[in-house]
Amino acid sequence: MRRFLGILFLLIIGTGIIIYAAVPSKPKEGTLDKIKKRGHLLWGADAEGGAPYAFPDPKDPSELVGFEVDLAQSIARELGVKAVESQNAWDSLIPALERGDFDFAMNGIEITEKRKERVLFSQPYYIYTEQLVVRKDENSIKSVNDLKGRTVGTLSGTVAQDILMGMRGVNVKIYSGQVEPYQDLALGRLDAVLLDLPIAAYYARPNPKLKFAGPPVGEGLYAIAIRKNDVQLKKKLDEVLAKLYRTGELKRIYEKWGLWNNKQEKLAAYFRNPDKNAATLEESQRAPVKSFFPMLLKGAGVTVLISVSSMSLAIGLGLILTLMRLYAGAPFNWLAASYIEVYRGTPLLIQLYILYYGLPNIGISLNPVLAAFLGLGMNYAAYEAELYRAGINAVPHGQMEAALSLGMTKGLALRRIILPQAVKIALPGITNDFIALFKDSSLVSVIAMVELTKTYSMLAASTLRFFQLGIITALLYFGMSYPLSLLARRLEKKLKKDRR
Amino acid sequence: MISVRDLYKSFGTNTLFAGVSLQVEKGEAVVLIGPSGSGKSTVLRCINGLEMFDRGEITVAGIELHSINRKRPSKEDAENIRRVRLKLGMVFQQFNLFPHMTVLQNITEAPVRVLGMSRREAEEIARGILRQINLESKVNSYPAQLSGGEQQRVAIARALAMRPEAMLFDEPTSSLDPEMAGEVLSVIRKLVEDGMTTLIVTHEMGFAREVADRVVVFDKGTIIETGPPEDIFTNPKVPRTREFLNRVLK
Repeated sequence: MRRFLGILFLLIIGTGIIIYAAVPSKPKEGTLDKIKKRGHLLWGADAEGGAPYAFPDPKDPSELVGFEVDLAQSIARELGVKAVESQNAWDSLIPALERGDFDFAMNGIEITEKRKERVLFSQPYYIYTEQLVVRKDENSIKSVNDLKGRTVGTLSGTVAQDILMGMRGVNVKIYSGQVEPYQDLALGRLDAVLLDLPIAAYYARPNPKLKFAGPPVGEGLYAIAIRKNDVQLKKKLDEVLAKLYRTGELKRIYEKWGLWNNKQEKLAAYFRNPDKNAATLEESQRAPVKSFFPMLLKGAGVTVLISVSSMSLAIGLGLILTLMRLYAGAPFNWLAASYIEVYRGTPLLIQLYILYYGLPNIGISLNPVLAAFLGLGMNYAAYEAELYRAGINAVPHGQMEAALSLGMTKGLALRRIILPQAVKIALPGITNDFIALFKDSSLVSVIAMVELTKTYSMLAASTLRFFQLGIITALLYFGMSYPLSLLARRLEKKLKKDRR
Repeated sequence: MISVRDLYKSFGTNTLFAGVSLQVEKGEAVVLIGPSGSGKSTVLRCINGLEMFDRGEITVAGIELHSINRKRPSKEDAENIRRVRLKLGMVFQQFNLFPHMTVLQNITEAPVRVLGMSRREAEEIARGILRQINLESKVNSYPAQLSGGEQQRVAIARALAMRPEAMLFDEPTSSLDPEMAGEVLSVIRKLVEDGMTTLIVTHEMGFAREVADRVVVFDKGTIIETGPPEDIFTNPKVPRTREFLNRVLK
């Protein structure tokens, strides 16, 4: 127990040091001066599934297009420099901004009180609303008031997520990309999707299977996120935005992308009173850490469940594969060997994507739980099979001969004599694999499974407490996998004793 | 009881044995001797189907084994091999006890699972055999807790528990020191005295001379001489037999 605490302590201290070292010191000269000296500005955005904000041009994927790309170019022109986009996952734009990866972030970032604690916001450049989208044949959902008991998808860290989370009895599914919720909606995995209007306009409006339900709800502001100490840059950007609005250039950009509506007239109010939206340090109303535990523990429960069930599949399927390889004759041997090579030679992540997002293309639609169970289990079966084969081959040949000469059939000899010895040899390896699978289960968060890692990224994206929650989540994983390592070590010792 | 007729086996261009013929009558004790690598162990392993042969015929208690491809035998051939194995008990040089089972489980496993004997009956028989070889106190020990001689005696008991009509011994004392070899040999001697049909491959010349009804001398894959032990050991007719005996008896 003391050693355990010691390891834990070192782990925490070590992580802290690494993170501290990774954060560069705050820039001394102003970002605006640096931009001018450099000759280009770096703006952070996520172009992965980022239409119509910023996304690879379908005609020439090496070029980015989008209304924010146009806006960035106009801003750069006003500053007398060029605009260069810096690709970053949307969830972590703000941490990356703070780290100094780019000069500012502009990517449909909504102004919220929580974010205002961490960054400065420019004047808003767009007034967005949230649009509910349902399948064409859906008649019972006419507005957000009809969502009780339904499964609704949205994007992680968005205002839409906050709206949905605040409603009672709605089953919210959080995605990290904006393409997947509409796909799942079309496939019937979701009943509705609530997302910012620009996203809905681009992805859902052209889809013949989907339709808008009810008028837009909520209203919020997109603004440029700037580092807290870059007051000079904020002032300059506000000036530029006001000018673009006054000259009608902003309106032309929005019209080009089909995003202009009369709501945008209200932007004028912000530009007339530049101080109204000036960032002030809000009284931090941080939630106590313990309020996150119920959600994290629930996520941990899902992780355990998915790990245990897919490990069972891996063990069973692995055994079948081994027997096919060793005893079932050439065609089966070849089949099993190919299976093992393919599953070991391709990334689990790709296998999960194909299972969950790919199979629907050929008419097979799996729910996330089943896809995670099959994906992890079928992948690890390949590793289990090789472990068992090594175990069986490690049993001396004389054991099989002795069993056969006693009149046993091959099957009986395998079951009673060979496998019990092989399992004993393979057991430490199996335990190790289980620990690995347990951690790999975090990958299923990409297929809309809300397990521990997904819970963490959701909570962290909405509170921006990546560090604190990250350490807690890591400790939860560690607290579950360390006892397993101890068990593995004990089994190894026991095995040595039996084999003297 | 056991009849081997004109057996051939080669491995690539290497001939293991050629034209081997051998008879073991009921109640007879036959000992195979000869230099290492002369093919005597392989012939023994052919008799209970652990090894393939290319040509010839083996008959055990009226069941015929042919020179078929044993890697993928037909259902009928596989069944014949199994029936032969049920008539024969086999004892290996390396004992091959099942390390994950106690002495008692090692002995009762096959009678219960293969012959369908009740566990109680099988255990009674096992205890009876263990009593005769003075290992009754070890019933619940695991093989790793036994000496080499004890392990080999348990292996003999395991084979006997299947009530075989004949016993095959493949160099049963070769991995034992002389003292332990002695206790194993006295168990085999007792079996022979009780009239068990036995075929033994061994390098223990004194023992061969003492228990054998007939001695068969192998060299380079053929049988060079057969006869009663007194003739073979005191007055061998073939020069190569004399050379071999001179070498090993020195």
